[in-house]
Amino acid sequence: MTELEGPGFSPETGTTEAPVGAIHDLGYKRYLGTRRDPRTRWRVIAREQVASAWKFWWRFKAAFGLAAIITAIAGGMMLFTSDRKSSLGRAQGFAMQLIDTTLPESIIWFCRAGFVVSLTIGATVVASDVQSGAFTFYFARSVKPHHYVIGKLAGMCALLALILVAGPLVIAGLRLGVSDDVDQLVDLLPILWKTLVIGGVATLAYAAVPLGFSALMPNRRNALALWAAYYLVFGAMVYELGKVSSGSLAALDLPRAVQTITYALFDLNFRSRDAQIPVAAAVASLAGHVVVAVALVSYQVRRAQRTGVGGAS
Amino acid sequence: MTAPLIELGKLTKRYGSITALADVDATIDGNIIGLLGPNGAGKSTLLKCLLGLIPYEGDARVLGLHAATSGSEIRDRVGYMPEQESFLTGMSAVELCTYAGELSGLPRSEAMQRAHAALYYAGLEEKRYQPIDSYSTGMKQRVKLAQALVHDPEILFLDEPTNGLDPRSRDEMLELIADLPARRNCAIVLSTHLLPDVERVCDHAVIMHHGRVRFAGSIDELRGARGGDRELVVEVKAHAQQLADVLATAGASCEVTSAVTLEVDLPESATSELVFRNAREAGIQVRGLGVRRETVEAAFLRVIGDS
Repeated sequence: MTELEGPGFSPETGTTEAPVGAIHDLGYKRYLGTRRDPRTRWRVIAREQVASAWKFWWRFKAAFGLAAIITAIAGGMMLFTSDRKSSLGRAQGFAMQLIDTTLPESIIWFCRAGFVVSLTIGATVVASDVQSGAFTFYFARSVKPHHYVIGKLAGMCALLALILVAGPLVIAGLRLGVSDDVDQLVDLLPILWKTLVIGGVATLAYAAVPLGFSALMPNRRNALALWAAYYLVFGAMVYELGKVSSGSLAALDLPRAVQTITYALFDLNFRSRDAQIPVAAAVASLAGHVVVAVALVSYQVRRAQRTGVGGAS
Repeated sequence: MTAPLIELGKLTKRYGSITALADVDATIDGNIIGLLGPNGAGKSTLLKCLLGLIPYEGDARVLGLHAATSGSEIRDRVGYMPEQESFLTGMSAVELCTYAGELSGLPRSEAMQRAHAALYYAGLEEKRYQPIDSYSTGMKQRVKLAQALVHDPEILFLDEPTNGLDPRSRDEMLELIADLPARRNCAIVLSTHLLPDVERVCDHAVIMHHGRVRFAGSIDELRGARGGDRELVVEVKAHAQQLADVLATAGASCEVTSAVTLEVDLPESATSELVFRNAREAGIQVRGLGVRRETVEAAFLRVIGDS
């Protein structure tokens, strides 16, 4: 008898009909193998985070498609308009052409795709688990709060890296590919590590900060609304204020903070109409956002562990 | 010699000025143990202590392991079926159970295989690929049982497993619970307010009240603890009232519960021989005689009331 042909298998119909109320088993044996090291359980959580995001097109695939379109447009611009002067080049005294400014200019567009992922996944992670009672599911097992936080953060980073690291790296690769000669290629090689750095920074920010917002509210819709308001409304406000007052204030706008670090790495100056954000302020803003967000998630998850299991009995 | 399932020594847990568990001493063993107590008795706090989730004073051991220091190891060897819903949005039953198995340390292939087996055992084989969100209450209870079983636990903590179930589903769930110790070689701690459930499936009980264990022992001890062998239930062919009158003159107190049955409290130092002798003399045929035991509900109320 095969596994599928368990108790209740009908040869006539070829189906397994479970007799109502009957107890049936596929054959039980005590598990005697080794168990996964508890310190590595975060990997299971990270993998599940990626798998569940990939399951529905609107969760991740839509944003991934957007990133692919951004990559294609940026690549096309590089290939077909390589001689054109960049508008950003004006800020550098017309020293730069479009082919050299496409990569740093595209980062803010990848950030927008990253923001879409934060809306469809990141900003609801903790709130969703609070709402569905999933913390009981996690903490009745040998999962510790830091496994959960690291797992969710790693899962989000893996997803966002596909957009914020892979996309810019493809563009960087294209730029190297259209080099005039080997000397120029060698000169341009540092853009690879610069792209990796900026992609990594943006990935961490766009993974951690929405996660922090998802821990602020016990309801996923409210958490989502709060994050969207912070990113879009508060971000726009501080950026505009930064233009007329201190540029450091504008560093609280996440995409502009990322852009500031990008420009610094690629030795670019801001346009005169942009807020002039100091690099130190941008770094401090991103680091502060990430630290506060991770601390918030850790606190809420720790609290959920202590109150969640057995709470309703 | 194997360690008892659960050992508690001077276990105390305080939340600020509130003492949730006060110097609890108990050794808990058995196949299916009913954990009983009114709301606020300390059951949930005890459960959290046993799973190593909260700090406490005193000693709490599960399967011989200290809950304070070996919480992770205990949780790998214990299954927990919560009262409230605790599912992950958008998952099917088989995905949830596989994930549960992996989180409990099983390799992925093993977790997947056992997830199918656990769901099959819980009676969800045909529905296991459907999203849990679309399940009925009864099916959700079955998923909760399956996810608690998937990693092959040695003890299962079941928190109100029959809550919200219709009579038929409740019967099926109790049947599964009663079957588990023999089929899966695991002990069960059943936390419930439904005392008929305990009466039906449990062989041991722990009764908690005001943060203390008021009783820990077998169900037989609990139900028979009141009057020993002097409290009888007698079944006769006919004339129960006549036998009651005769026994009353012999010093017993009787209550006729139907035309053919009566409950008898024998006087001190008397035995069941008194019933047989008086029945014979009155020409009444005795068809059955047994020691009268309390229902679990009555015993529970007595234990709680004693405190």
